[in-house]
Amino acid sequence: MEKLVLSGSPHIKAPRTTKSIMIDVCVALLPATVVGIVFFGLNALITMIISVVGAFAAELIWKMAFMRKNFRQFAAEFDFTSIVTGMLIGMNMPPLVDWYIPLIADFFAVWIVKMLFGGTGRNIVNPAIAGRVFVFLSFGIVAANGFVEPIVTGNGTFTDVVVAGSTPLGSLFMNGEFTATNMQLFLGTVPGCIGETSALALIVGGLYLVVRRVIDIRWPVIYIAVTGLLTVAIKGFDFTWFLPSILSGGLMLGAIFMATDYVTTPNTTWGNVIYFVALGVITAVLRCNNGTEVVSFAILLMNLVVPIIDKYIFPRPFGHVKQPKAKKQKAVKEGE
Amino acid sequence: MQKFVKKTFRHGVHFHDKKELSKGQATEVMPTPSDVFISVSQHIGAPSAVTVAPGDKVVKGQLIADAVGGLGCKVYSSVCGEVVEIVKKAGATGALSDHIHIRTDGSDETMTLPPMTSKDGAAIRQRIADAGIIGMGGAGFPTGVKLSPSKPVDTLIINGAECEPYITCDYRIMLEKTAGIVSGARYLAEACGVENVVFGVEDNKMDCVAALSEAGAKVVVLKKKYPQGAEKDLIFAVNGRKVPCGGLPMDVGVIVQNVATAYAAFEAVENNKPCYERVVTVSGGGVKQPKNLLVPNGTSYRDLLDYCGGASDDTVKIISGGPMMGFAVMDLGVTTTKTTGSVLALTKAEANLTMPTPCINCGRCARACPMSLMPMYIDFYTLAGDYDTAVKYGALNCFECGSCAYVCPARRAIVQSVRLCKQKIKERKK
Repeated sequence: MEKLVLSGSPHIKAPRTTKSIMIDVCVALLPATVVGIVFFGLNALITMIISVVGAFAAELIWKMAFMRKNFRQFAAEFDFTSIVTGMLIGMNMPPLVDWYIPLIADFFAVWIVKMLFGGTGRNIVNPAIAGRVFVFLSFGIVAANGFVEPIVTGNGTFTDVVVAGSTPLGSLFMNGEFTATNMQLFLGTVPGCIGETSALALIVGGLYLVVRRVIDIRWPVIYIAVTGLLTVAIKGFDFTWFLPSILSGGLMLGAIFMATDYVTTPNTTWGNVIYFVALGVITAVLRCNNGTEVVSFAILLMNLVVPIIDKYIFPRPFGHVKQPKAKKQKAVKEGE
Repeated sequence: MQKFVKKTFRHGVHFHDKKELSKGQATEVMPTPSDVFISVSQHIGAPSAVTVAPGDKVVKGQLIADAVGGLGCKVYSSVCGEVVEIVKKAGATGALSDHIHIRTDGSDETMTLPPMTSKDGAAIRQRIADAGIIGMGGAGFPTGVKLSPSKPVDTLIINGAECEPYITCDYRIMLEKTAGIVSGARYLAEACGVENVVFGVEDNKMDCVAALSEAGAKVVVLKKKYPQGAEKDLIFAVNGRKVPCGGLPMDVGVIVQNVATAYAAFEAVENNKPCYERVVTVSGGGVKQPKNLLVPNGTSYRDLLDYCGGASDDTVKIISGGPMMGFAVMDLGVTTTKTTGSVLALTKAEANLTMPTPCINCGRCARACPMSLMPMYIDFYTLAGDYDTAVKYGALNCFECGSCAYVCPARRAIVQSVRLCKQKIKERKK
């Protein structure tokens, strides 16, 4: 007891840290990643590794080269956010994508979207989504190429490469054909991005996050339900659309893991309700209109609206006295 | 067992209360230390005026400093002995104030207040002011002043929530001095002229609830949640009234008093004893034998810890008060006052020694805030120097319970930001 520490209250802390939350998110992403690798084979594994290592390297290079930190400082403040970004980017890539595509997405996400705005907690949009959208828009067909039939149904080789648009979601909304059964969509035995096909694995990961109190179960449920129900309504209340529309494409991955990113969601209950309902509406309307996958774009768009939501929606303090009353009293006083 | 409806407030945090360390320890009378330093500024008003001079002999219960101003408070000697000097010394908050240094002589002569001639409201109020009783929950507001509200009140709530972890001093006196507290509460009620007296006790102290109910008190069982004992949240939990922002409990017709205050009132009215000692919990992982002690005012923390077997080597923080709202002290020479409920020695494993990392906007602080504020924005705008925006998000409504900083995964020092903001606003008004 040679030295006493002097600091302000409180003197005890909850065990939760940013790092432990991010590690929980990584753990929750594992089931879908493993399922993706099992279904899509070695290429998927390589893509995932490139993506995660790339994101880590991007942060390391930025901190050591531009912020002049030594490795020990870097390790002390490393909070696993870039690992989450890397995993999400990998999971959003087609299995046979060219090796440099996830790498470019990583560097764009970590450098441009996260670090330039001030690092963890200061990015205005979700880095992983920004990275994915950036490569899909910039590289077009190169990035969108490489969807394969999963090994369990096809054989996972280049001969099975299917072009963008013939994933179940594409054919569903473009041509109105149901190319996969609901059970296939639920288990993930359909072509698609590495981590987005298996709704089951994503839901398992999501429930883990809910149990660990990292995310609130209400928000993904609102997003998914609004998307599904609005799709049904647009298609003339044909309820056969409900399950395919919520199980296919990137909705599960987006709703559970990307839309619920702390940094880019509102801070209040009602702000969150507005945010997730708006996400659902944008997703359903644009999907039915364009026939392509729009979850990333919807989230990107709503991320940018969050500061406005937060500016106008915040709770009144406990015991708040309504403003008009005070004004009336003033008026009376002035009248006197 | 009887079933109770557990009442509570919105938001707040749940944590392990760590009360088991000292819960089972019956209150012991601490042997009189050789030296005491009694502060003349234990309450929130102007410091009391010293009425003794170095060399004077004083006895236990003798007036040594008189009240000054409307919020003043009398100070009584807690020991028999000789006044050595009047020194300027740092209190638990670090602020310097005059302390009366008394060297004890081992005798046990006690002086009491003159017996009361009548026991009506005004006389009781006068007696409570004369006895130097202040709010013993921690704020140190002179009780005599609080009992003469300028607005009509109809309810007196006796606060036995004791929501801070580790502390068990209120728990022990509720168990051991049940009858005294109940009649003390009745005296307090008479002093402010209300009929309705309600005890608010958290559900981790069900034995106190049973004891108090048996003694004829009306008890409301509250859910164990921090900060259940905060005045505004306690009132909302007990009778659903919302104290307006910037207002006082009397604006909604309520007065809140701590159980220790009620017991001090009982002692003053019934036994003519002025307020010069209180029960202090000495606890924490760094204390060999956690105890509840009846301690004379002005005992140094070193004496307290030594009596409990000393602080262990891995102690990193000594805290005056609870771990959520208390003050870390810089040396063990700091002495107890009427408001010191506990002295804690926290080890490295328990204490918060972390440095802040960037906010990730998770919203946990807003969900924990009992006042429904937006702590993350208060922190952000205060550090950016934009105090007006911080006030817009409620900086001035914050009562610094620390729930936000407790739950923060990024370890933001939110409470310090709030204090900085309040300070800056105060400076600007001058």
